[in-house]
Amino acid sequence: MARRNTYREDEVLETPFDFHHLLRASVYIKKYSGRMILAFVLSAVGGITALFGPMLTQKALDEAIPDKNIRMLVTLVLVLVGTYAVSVVFTTIRSRIMVKVGQGIIYDIRRDLFAHLQKLPFQYYDDRPHGKILIRVVNYVNSVSDMLSNGLINVVLEILNLIFIVIFMFLVDVKLSLVVLAGVPILAAFMLYMKKRQRKAWQQVSNKNSNLNAYLQENIVGARITQIFVREDENVETFGILADRCRKAWMQAVKFSNLVWPGIDNISVWVRAAVFIVGLLVMGPENVKLGVIVAITSYASRFWQPIMNLGNIFNNFINNIAYLERIFETMDEPVTVADAEDAIEMPPIRGQVTFEHVTFAYEEGKHVLKDLSFTVEPGESVALVGPTGAGKSTIVNLVSRFYNVNQGRVLIDGQDISQVTLESLRSQMGIMLQDSFIFSGTIEDNIRYGKLDATMEEIQRASETVCADAFISRMQDGYQTEVKERGSLLSQGQKQLISFARTLLSDPSILVLDEATSSIDVQTERALQQGLNAMLQGRTSFIIAHRLSTIKNCDKIMYIDQGGIMECGTHEELMAKRGYYYRLYTAQMEDIA
Amino acid sequence: MEKKRHSKLAWLWENMKGYRAVYVLCLVGTVTYNVMHLIVPYMSQSIIDLFLSGEQAAENLATKRNLFWELIIAMVLLTFLRTAIVYLSCMGGEVVSQKALYRIRTYLFDKIERQDMHFYATYRTGDLMTRLTGDLDAVRHMIAWVIRTIVESLALMAATAVYFFYMDWRLALCLFAIAPFIFLIIILFKNKVAPRHRALREKLAEMNTISQENISGNRVVKAFAREKYEIEKFDESNTSYSQTNQKTALTWLTYYPYVESAANLMPVALLLVGGIFLIQEQITMGQYVAFSSLIWAIANPMRQLGSIMNEFQRFSAASDKVMEIYYSQPEIVDKPGAVDRPERFQGRIEFKNVSFQYADGKLPILRNVSFTAEPGETIAIMGETGCGKTSLIQLIPRFYEPTEGEVLVDGIAVQDMKLRQLRGNIGLATQDVLLYSDSIDGNIAFGDSHITPEQVVKFARYSAASDFIARMPEGYDTIVGERGVGLSGGQKQRISLARALAVRPAILILDDTTSAVDMETEKQIQHSLSELDFPCTKIIIAQRISTTKYADKILVLQDGRITESGSHEELIAKKGYYYQVVRLQTGQQISEQGPSLCPDAGAAEQQSPGLDAGGACAECGKEV
Repeated sequence: MARRNTYREDEVLETPFDFHHLLRASVYIKKYSGRMILAFVLSAVGGITALFGPMLTQKALDEAIPDKNIRMLVTLVLVLVGTYAVSVVFTTIRSRIMVKVGQGIIYDIRRDLFAHLQKLPFQYYDDRPHGKILIRVVNYVNSVSDMLSNGLINVVLEILNLIFIVIFMFLVDVKLSLVVLAGVPILAAFMLYMKKRQRKAWQQVSNKNSNLNAYLQENIVGARITQIFVREDENVETFGILADRCRKAWMQAVKFSNLVWPGIDNISVWVRAAVFIVGLLVMGPENVKLGVIVAITSYASRFWQPIMNLGNIFNNFINNIAYLERIFETMDEPVTVADAEDAIEMPPIRGQVTFEHVTFAYEEGKHVLKDLSFTVEPGESVALVGPTGAGKSTIVNLVSRFYNVNQGRVLIDGQDISQVTLESLRSQMGIMLQDSFIFSGTIEDNIRYGKLDATMEEIQRASETVCADAFISRMQDGYQTEVKERGSLLSQGQKQLISFARTLLSDPSILVLDEATSSIDVQTERALQQGLNAMLQGRTSFIIAHRLSTIKNCDKIMYIDQGGIMECGTHEELMAKRGYYYRLYTAQMEDIA
Repeated sequence: MEKKRHSKLAWLWENMKGYRAVYVLCLVGTVTYNVMHLIVPYMSQSIIDLFLSGEQAAENLATKRNLFWELIIAMVLLTFLRTAIVYLSCMGGEVVSQKALYRIRTYLFDKIERQDMHFYATYRTGDLMTRLTGDLDAVRHMIAWVIRTIVESLALMAATAVYFFYMDWRLALCLFAIAPFIFLIIILFKNKVAPRHRALREKLAEMNTISQENISGNRVVKAFAREKYEIEKFDESNTSYSQTNQKTALTWLTYYPYVESAANLMPVALLLVGGIFLIQEQITMGQYVAFSSLIWAIANPMRQLGSIMNEFQRFSAASDKVMEIYYSQPEIVDKPGAVDRPERFQGRIEFKNVSFQYADGKLPILRNVSFTAEPGETIAIMGETGCGKTSLIQLIPRFYEPTEGEVLVDGIAVQDMKLRQLRGNIGLATQDVLLYSDSIDGNIAFGDSHITPEQVVKFARYSAASDFIARMPEGYDTIVGERGVGLSGGQKQRISLARALAVRPAILILDDTTSAVDMETEKQIQHSLSELDFPCTKIIIAQRISTTKYADKILVLQDGRITESGSHEELIAKKGYYYQVVRLQTGQQISEQGPSLCPDAGAAEQQSPGLDAGGACAECGKEV
């Protein structure tokens, strides 16, 4: 496993990226190719129409005005107005199309990115600060749309433009045209030089912003911890350092980016000077017609205009590829826990759970579970006890297939769970985790998360069963009370009760309670137990709890340590055995008494 | 700390302090290179006129070689100079905008770090993050680009206007007659687009919030197999953001044709009116050419005005959001004349008739709570879920203020103390353990980054965390993921405890910090807490009797009131709530059906019919 990332380190780019990855982006463009071609045609026609402008003006100056023909002048002006109107209308339509295309592309990328993130395992979220994931979904995607929509069209337009100009130029004079083109290698060398530096610089910008975002997120979430430890000054200082690195990275990047345009501008002037020198001094007026030089100089400046535009687009590309590669990197992140290709729907679960020689390690070589085998019959309640870090949570995580086993199999009702779809498996399980996460929204919304189409009655009933109804009804807006982010106005115990109700509402066939009641006071827990007992009827359940009074009545108690089951049996059996459990239990009782 | 509220542009100017001169220079540079842009074409024009198309071209070429070279060199050098100025102004804009960005951003961060709980309950994480990233970027863009473009456009227009009016005021007037229409259209556009930009900022914040919660809550999402639902939820926000973005852009495109057409009218008007003037010989061909070669310098800025206005509105909407935080004031701050107590506190805590309710809540959380903790004492607080335990302890570091009564530390009301000093003397391990994605070492030393590695190990040992940390492959250098994922609940709690101990506080507050720790480990922790090598008053919220029984005083909190208070023995004798809890935890529920187990302390010797509880009860009997 790669070392966990923090705000201090830049993320290593796992998939090196270059222009060919633009091809990859074409998936997103393809969908809009019809509209993009239309937009392209509109631009081309608009551009050609605009060419009539100078012609009409020329005609007016050369003919209408010397002839003092006001009628003709007015006619020409009207035609000119017409061409402008066409050009404006076309440009407007093109822009309207491209706004929609650009927004469509952003929307599509973001949707796919988010959907992919939902498939990624816990590990992905555990290994990096969440702010670094977030910045990709929100900020980075925003940046790349223009490049993929307008950028592409403009590249094609400018290149076409360039080709036409070169053809016309060569038709006028080959030698002088070559002089103009002599600027191209200089330009190419210049751009290559810049590209390498710019690429790196913009990658740095993306890295540093990502670090900043990571730190920012953690500190907003943890502001209270900062305050209690009076760390404000130090944190502000750290943030300042990160912000300053962002600034420096940015300055480094624009130092190069801003050079591109002036660089091209200078090269174009050298070329113009060269045309004058070669045309007038080397070839001499006797060998070259005046008109030719005038024409070539005018073509030369027209030749460099699209190149400058291309330079700007190039800048944009280089800049945005730093973001695009991060987006694609996330999309390429392997989904380690995924539906098997021929995965079937998990049939309604009866509740037999079997571990067959299961070996599991979070990190290679560090086995958490070793060759673990056991069977739980439908409807049985199993308590897992043992020291912290012994692997209790790991076992329940494997039942819900949050991780894949390294060796062996986990079976439910005789069905290998790696061969069924995750959704059909997990939607039949109720899992209450140690960290009872509360979403911002109403209490009702939070409970409803367990069963999206639950009626209010069902919600209330579930809350009553877990003894949450009492405190919820006492809140000012009852079930409609808005709980702020992470349930900041609720006590930990209340959060656990709400997430308990949520789990209950999902009516699971297999229930997993991982320290689900640790923060609930004993009185409430006892009341809860009655509801829970009713709930456990007919469901297979796994219960992890340190408070042994919670688990005494379980059908089976497994003492887990050193990656395996050290003892297994009912409370009475284990007490009679006078082994690990006995010692744990008596210690606890002694302690309490 | 209170800052005068500035208008948006004044606010920008304020934050450019120290770089204002650079910025002014960069604007001057912008004007300069635009003026040069008007001049440089004359170089190549003169070469063409003198040496190519003019009547004496051949002759000039033969005789005025020096002039030819001079012009060529002037053209190259002037371009170089101009592009150098362009580059420097661009970079100037970047320097100043980045410095201002840095300044505003760190200031905002500082602001956020020092806010009170009310603020954190009001603003969601995703929202705040948007303000410090996306919204702030619009502010940066304003300095780096928008303002420069405005200056550029105005400079070009003004310079050309002066030149045009100087040449022929009638023709100039005809051209500028179009300007008011453009201004009018742009004002109309502004009114339409401003609310759209505000909506757009909101949608962006919303999307950020939804993503942020989804990422933080990824475990719950998976546990409930709610990926589809989450995708739908996000899709709604994604769609809404995308549509608002479209609407904003299309608003501009609704006005764009008018602005563009009006700008196009300028060369048209020039051709028509100029042509007529030429025919009537009111102006010369030379004058006409001068007008026509510079007409772009009027028309282009006019065109630009629309997009400038668009950008300006974007800035305006974004800066509103940024400035809201920039000028926000926490309510809980040091009072003027707060008592200065740099020395270590003794740790005496007194609650005097304290009542409390949340500002946005209608129901009282604490009612008339009074108690005292003498230095070095251990006070345990027990009570049902939601009875106000956590609220109570949050009053001590002044996260909230009581609605009535007083909280005193060492005899001084906490409101009269300096927050830094007050909180610096408190070690708090919260219920909801929040670790940072940092090394374990860094997490433990969070409150005091100067402690030695040996001390870190010592505090880890105090909190019974040293064993499992030592078993990790990288030991104290192990990076724990955000919010400590990768660790079990009990492990997180122990690190959080070590972190609280590491500041060697005069007051240690543990909010149910050992709830997920197994009993044996807890016993170790209890033991080390009683043998800390620094004096410390402990306030411990706990559900377990094993934790509470060694306390000097146990407070039972019910519905915001202290209903029982006393030592373990006293409370058992009282046979109230605490007594019930003791019975429950010793596993004597069975007694409710069967004969009463511990009817009173005196009957403790009575054997239990329950298989296990007997022994425990016998123990209990000995104790009582």
